[in-house]
Amino acid sequence: MSSLRLDAVAKNFGAVTALHPTDLAIAEGEFLTLLGPSGSGKTTILNICAGFLAPSAGRLHVGGRDITALPPRRRNIGMVFQNYALFPHMSVFENVAYGLRVRRIADADLRRRVSEALSLVRLDGFAGRAIRELSGGQQQRVALARAVVIEPDILLMDEPLSALDRQLRKTVQLEVRRLHLARPRTTLYVTHDQEEALVMSDRVAVMREGRIVQIGVGSELYERPADAFVARFLGESNLLAGTVQWLDGGRGALSVPGFAQPLEGRVGGSGAALAVGHAALALIRPEAVRPQADGIAARIVERVYLGELVAVRLILPGGTEIWCRRLAGDVPPDLASIAVGWDAARVTLLPNV
Amino acid sequence: METGAGGRLDRWLLHGIAGLIAAFLVLPILAIVPAAFNGRSFILLPPAEWSWRWWGVFFADASWRRTLVTSLEVASCVTVLASVLGTAAAIGIARLSGAVRTLVLAIFVGPVVVPTIVLAIALYAMARSFGLVGTLLALVLAHTMLALPYAALNVGVSLRAVDPRLMLAASGLGAGAWLVFRTVTLPLILPGILGGAVFAFVTSFDEVVLSIFLAGPAVKTLPVRIWEEIRVELTPVVAVAATIMLVLALAAWAIARLAELRRDGRTAA
Repeated sequence: MSSLRLDAVAKNFGAVTALHPTDLAIAEGEFLTLLGPSGSGKTTILNICAGFLAPSAGRLHVGGRDITALPPRRRNIGMVFQNYALFPHMSVFENVAYGLRVRRIADADLRRRVSEALSLVRLDGFAGRAIRELSGGQQQRVALARAVVIEPDILLMDEPLSALDRQLRKTVQLEVRRLHLARPRTTLYVTHDQEEALVMSDRVAVMREGRIVQIGVGSELYERPADAFVARFLGESNLLAGTVQWLDGGRGALSVPGFAQPLEGRVGGSGAALAVGHAALALIRPEAVRPQADGIAARIVERVYLGELVAVRLILPGGTEIWCRRLAGDVPPDLASIAVGWDAARVTLLPNV
Repeated sequence: METGAGGRLDRWLLHGIAGLIAAFLVLPILAIVPAAFNGRSFILLPPAEWSWRWWGVFFADASWRRTLVTSLEVASCVTVLASVLGTAAAIGIARLSGAVRTLVLAIFVGPVVVPTIVLAIALYAMARSFGLVGTLLALVLAHTMLALPYAALNVGVSLRAVDPRLMLAASGLGAGAWLVFRTVTLPLILPGILGGAVFAFVTSFDEVVLSIFLAGPAVKTLPVRIWEEIRVELTPVVAVAATIMLVLALAAWAIARLAELRRDGRTAA
């Protein structure tokens, strides 16, 4: 187990920049997720760490050792692929044993370690099975066992749950999290699924167009997004467009068309991108919107039943649409008028990107 | 399902025509088999009396046996050469892209596209200047030219079915290039290599045009001998030789088909 550090690592494919110079440090035993849409550069970082891609610039360190020039086989990195990439002509046992056989581990030791790895992922008794006899979830666990059995310095995972159905995905997310808490391994995980990122990670790095736009623990990203992109990517967002009216320290206000009063809130991100008189966005999470007797008069135009919650689409004066999420009993059962409000503390002013 | 009288008539017509086409394709070939079991001194269809007589003649004649052995020797060498070179070529071609790939592929299918007689004349001229006419080496090299594209294309198909991430996974687990090839790539493309090997064997075993130009009195393949024999007289021993070739070719085809089924079964899983 070692720390991982990227120093100004960049990747170009001809004229196309897949990754702008990027710094990233993952502490020993930390589970860090790269979260972003496809083409945001997250898989590029992963492949550079694995050694499958050579960076165009920058250095890569594992445990303080520069591994930039090392081929994949000399890096001692465990990788779990999106489609698992299990060897179809080998049994479960031989798949897991592969990395140990390559390392010429003695037979008795090899058997013990393979069986430990299989029991770690709860596949005891599956050693003799053929890969094609396994379900998707079981294959995913074999891939994980194969990656961790070599005691890698770093564990890399490339959207390993994307092929599983929703129910199984949730189970495996928790299982991966439990495995990680029981025995922390330095892990770099790639996904485009925000829920996956929030459930499993110690920290999340949100990526966009070849850059890390924000990095932090899940609650930080959700409550204090650096920009509208991060806000949209994590959770549901109401983003109201307006013009910055005043800025004062960490606070400010937007004038929003149709609103009698300026919309006050906390300045998000670095704040440097906001300027009086310029366009900006106000972020209000749907769960922050609540019925309030002296609030803004709104019209309910849609109700979506979500089990214990309902999502309600509201039209505010001036035609602005926002979503509100409440417990089912808190909003009128039929389409009606409603007065709503929110705490100014739960409004975040963000640059428009 | 219910079918009207018109539909049934159409179906009979369809089956009838399909049957006729099948007969057109297969009958002339199969006709050679009974001809080989004919007791008389000339080829007769159907045979007037059934007999193994000409099989005895074939195997008693050292010169016939010699040509069969030569054919098998040449085909075996070609099979090994074409399989090894074809596999290497397929792996190399898989790594190319763009114009280079197109050019290399064109070079590889060249010998198959060029009219065989042109190739024969060219090879004869080459072999003469190197003093190779009438040698086993000349036949092996010439047949390998024809067989190599089939072997390379067949392995190429197998290779495309292999997920390249398997090789990445193996190297990530610490395996060097040769170990990755031996433990992952090779087992997965083996059916393709076997299929290509059978194609190579059959290509060489069948080949007659190049062989006529390059064979000599001492080194002569079975098809060349059949060709020479027919020009003098048409005895049932030719039918025996042809039947032997037919059986070997069918056996080779069956092996290739089995290898293909195994490969498909594996990739489908």
